[in-house]
Amino acid sequence: MALSNPGGSRKVCYYYDSDIGNNYYGQGHPMKPHRIRMTHNLLLNYGLYRKMEIYRPHKCNAEEMSRYHSDDYIKFLRSIRPDNMSEYTKQMQRFNVGEDCPVFDGLYEFCQLSGGGSIAGAVKINKHQTDIAINWAGGLHHAKKSEASGFCYVNDIVLAILELLKYHQRVLYIDIDIHHGDGVEEAFYTTDRVMTVSFHKYGEYFPGTGDLRDIGAGKGKYYALNFPLRDGMDDECYEQIFQPVITKVMEYYQPSAVVLQCGADSLGDRLGCFNLTVKGHAKCLEYVKKFNVPILMLGGGGYTIRNVARCWTYETAVALGQEIPNELPYNDYFEYFGPDFKLHISPSNMSNQNTMEYLQKIRQRLFENLRMLPHAPGVQMQDIPPDAVVSGSDDEAMDDPDKK
Amino acid sequence: MASSNMYRIGDYVYFENSPSNPYSIRRIEELNKTSSGNVEAKVICFYRRRDISNSLLLLADKHAKDMEEDMDEASTDLSENERHQLNHKELYLSRQLDSLPATYIRGKCSVTLLNETEDLKSYLNKSDTFFYSLVYDPAQKTLLADRGEIRVGCKYQAEIPPLINENGYDGKEDESREEMVWNPNNELSKQQVDQFMVISRSVGTFARALDCNSSIRQPALHVSAAAASRDITLFHTLTCLHKNKYNIADAISSLVPKTGPMLCKDEMEDWSPSEANLFEEALEKYGKDFLDIKQDFLPWKTIASIVEYYYMWKTSDRYVQQKKLKAAEAEGKLKQVYIPNYNKPNPNLIKPVNGESNGKACEGCFCTSSFQWYTWGPPNMGCRLCATCWMYWKKYGGLKMPPSSRLERMHNHKIKGTDKELRYRPPNSGVAIVATGGPHRAQRISHKTKQAFFLNATKLTRLARRLCNETFSIRHYSRRPFEAINIAAIKAECQVRLSSSPKVTTKFPQKKWPPLSVVVVRLLTLRPQLTHQSVKKSLSKIKTSVEVATNNNHHLLPSSGSLKRSHHNGIAGQKMGDNGSIYRVSNGPQKKKRCLNSTDASDDMLFVCTDRIRDIRKRIKSSDQRSAARKPTKFLINMPKFAMKPPPTKHINPEPIVIDD
Repeated sequence: MALSNPGGSRKVCYYYDSDIGNNYYGQGHPMKPHRIRMTHNLLLNYGLYRKMEIYRPHKCNAEEMSRYHSDDYIKFLRSIRPDNMSEYTKQMQRFNVGEDCPVFDGLYEFCQLSGGGSIAGAVKINKHQTDIAINWAGGLHHAKKSEASGFCYVNDIVLAILELLKYHQRVLYIDIDIHHGDGVEEAFYTTDRVMTVSFHKYGEYFPGTGDLRDIGAGKGKYYALNFPLRDGMDDECYEQIFQPVITKVMEYYQPSAVVLQCGADSLGDRLGCFNLTVKGHAKCLEYVKKFNVPILMLGGGGYTIRNVARCWTYETAVALGQEIPNELPYNDYFEYFGPDFKLHISPSNMSNQNTMEYLQKIRQRLFENLRMLPHAPGVQMQDIPPDAVVSGSDDEAMDDPDKK
Repeated sequence: MASSNMYRIGDYVYFENSPSNPYSIRRIEELNKTSSGNVEAKVICFYRRRDISNSLLLLADKHAKDMEEDMDEASTDLSENERHQLNHKELYLSRQLDSLPATYIRGKCSVTLLNETEDLKSYLNKSDTFFYSLVYDPAQKTLLADRGEIRVGCKYQAEIPPLINENGYDGKEDESREEMVWNPNNELSKQQVDQFMVISRSVGTFARALDCNSSIRQPALHVSAAAASRDITLFHTLTCLHKNKYNIADAISSLVPKTGPMLCKDEMEDWSPSEANLFEEALEKYGKDFLDIKQDFLPWKTIASIVEYYYMWKTSDRYVQQKKLKAAEAEGKLKQVYIPNYNKPNPNLIKPVNGESNGKACEGCFCTSSFQWYTWGPPNMGCRLCATCWMYWKKYGGLKMPPSSRLERMHNHKIKGTDKELRYRPPNSGVAIVATGGPHRAQRISHKTKQAFFLNATKLTRLARRLCNETFSIRHYSRRPFEAINIAAIKAECQVRLSSSPKVTTKFPQKKWPPLSVVVVRLLTLRPQLTHQSVKKSLSKIKTSVEVATNNNHHLLPSSGSLKRSHHNGIAGQKMGDNGSIYRVSNGPQKKKRCLNSTDASDDMLFVCTDRIRDIRKRIKSSDQRSAARKPTKFLINMPKFAMKPPPTKHINPEPIVIDD
């Protein structure tokens, strides 16, 4: 059962499939699943591998994906291949597959693995079998119900949260990717059972959403929180906004599970424009960990792959409460980390366009919105016919509420 | 200091495209070294308010108003002056890319997306800071707000599953979500695991000795040992322990099955040298298009194994060498560039004459002393700016004060005609009801220098003058030409009055202007030294202007060609023209009998009061004289009869009086 040890050491379940790293989006495409393998090899050679439960997730199936995604979209993802693309031109347009989200060999299996890992992690948390579950192959936060977007096809985060919602009244989603977590926000825009909090670069930046004024709709009003940021965010500034906002959110919302999307493009990155270091990025996790709520940690963006591997390796260590040396251990991809071969990175000398004044004003506005929240909103306990529970195999019985 | 002169990708900078125009504001996207050794900056363009059309500005202001509603109330009450300066701080982002020499950089600035929580005043207080909220498309001439939308509807949201049990999972074990490959809660100590790892690697080294492929490629024992220590063997070792339930004895026997010692090879080791050569050849040909590489070079490999090999190959020496070559190629791409402060004097700088500031006051702030002066505006106007206002103009593309308050300040200065600033007229400042569009139309009609300026009263304006006697006293305002008129109030009253009494006479007596032929004939009698030919030439020009003018219901003012209007002695022009007296103008083009051209006419004119005019004045009643002064374009009705007769030519001074500016 859950080991709640405030001292820092936590039980960690880690999900990984060795096939993930061989998925290749295409020439010149910045998204490289190989970074997940680089992380994995670093974990092994740092000795962290031996300290956590390692799982190979099962591929999730189309039916599980369809809990969020539309059937025809999943059917399309299942059928499309580089060699039959020409037969699907219309659907490719409709589902936004082609340019940013190319068709590549093994695309569907890639989605299955990423989704399978996140769902498995959520189930693990539901079962109280772990404090923290990690799936670096997940965190694909841009995917929409019937649309691929921003290198994401299947939204493993939404699938995992849907799984968590079976046993958790309130789930908090925190997104520290440099891009706005629009897919997750949209999926839960009208519900108060999931609160989405995203810190991201805003203004002439993908995906264009994430305005301070986007706060949710209907029942979900005030349950979406967006912190728009400008270029050059550094560790110090990030800490000064992340910690107070999360403290308040935790206080008001009192979630029983947290999903943390750890997109590493908020470090100095090929596609990013923030200036966080590995330490600053991991401070967010350290802080969330303090609340003693089970955490599902997921990957996300990150396009300077050596830094992604550094970041996620260090964050795995933080999750485990382990100190690891700055000197990188030898591994198959050691040469990638030259010339210094160190774990931590220094910030660049780029200027930070986020003034204290700006950050404080936004923070103030977000606090005002948070005050609109009733403390820890309850959901009516659903009347579940006893046979549904008895019929056992949890997921299947609960998948389809319409059946009952 | 060095860091302020170091320009990096992503910096917002001032670019100087022309010495007299304001700087352009750009964002550096790329810095490239050209073959000639110069640095070219690829930049994103920002536009100022002055760069986009008025109709778009109206749209932009409407958007800003919507946004203001969201803003803190404190920020909305801006004075006119603050609004005016704030307009200089607003930019429009575009997606237009431009390439400029880095030496044109003149400093850094900052451009940020305006956030509704921000106090606009914070932009006023900080120099070199700009904001934007809209994106401008220079090709389509459109503005758009760059804000994405979260969609709401069952097509977009997830269906939320009901809560089964908040207290946790009560179901049975999930059948097949995952497969465990390592459990840290095992019986073995860290040391035992380490020992088993060494055993596994030793077995691997021995297996390589037995494997003929490997023994050829790895003749040295330590190379085999290194190969047996690669990550694939380590992963396999741990999995092997887990599979044998962390029983070392069982695990060891699984390392040495009946088929021989366990050999784990990754793609790096598995590929033969010839395959590696093929791969490098293919990579050169196709780049990283692994599908093509597989099809044309390595059909017996899977894409996955090619990808895996590729990422491992990147750690090899051969790749490192290639990378160095590439790095040399990429040297042209710079991350930053050092541009020293620009010290060359601007050509607009006025060379000090004995250190004295002989000239007009600063157009921007009306100060009369400055350590440097710069010419500003059209060259013939001789306007100048003090050093501070010049910097303000270069950076923000305007003058510090809004035109209305400048007009007030200019009260004691003579009017200098229209100036560019009128473009920035804030919507409600209402410079004057009568000035609507005047200056611009005047320009268009006569193609004249900027000084040409006349007031054009449209029908509606004239109607409003009569109707709105409540808010608008024409006498009051005509005496105080610099007082701002509340145009909105007049519009409102006008609308009320028009709707309440629809039978208001909207017809005005059509002004009777002499036909063109009469004007020309008079012109000829005035200027006997003009040849017929030259008049004909200029006539065609005058004619077109006259047509435009009459079409637009303008007064036919002598704004074109040689017909002049003076601002200060308005009484003279028409009157003297009528009775054929002399008025002579200008820098002596007539002397050379040059063809009159509407563009080269000067505006400065002098009224020479001859004895004859004095004589006429004496004959006119003082009341008529006054009325003539007020209506300079009107004929003098009570003119003594004899004056209408064409004057005898001998009275005309044949030599023009030449006045230099």
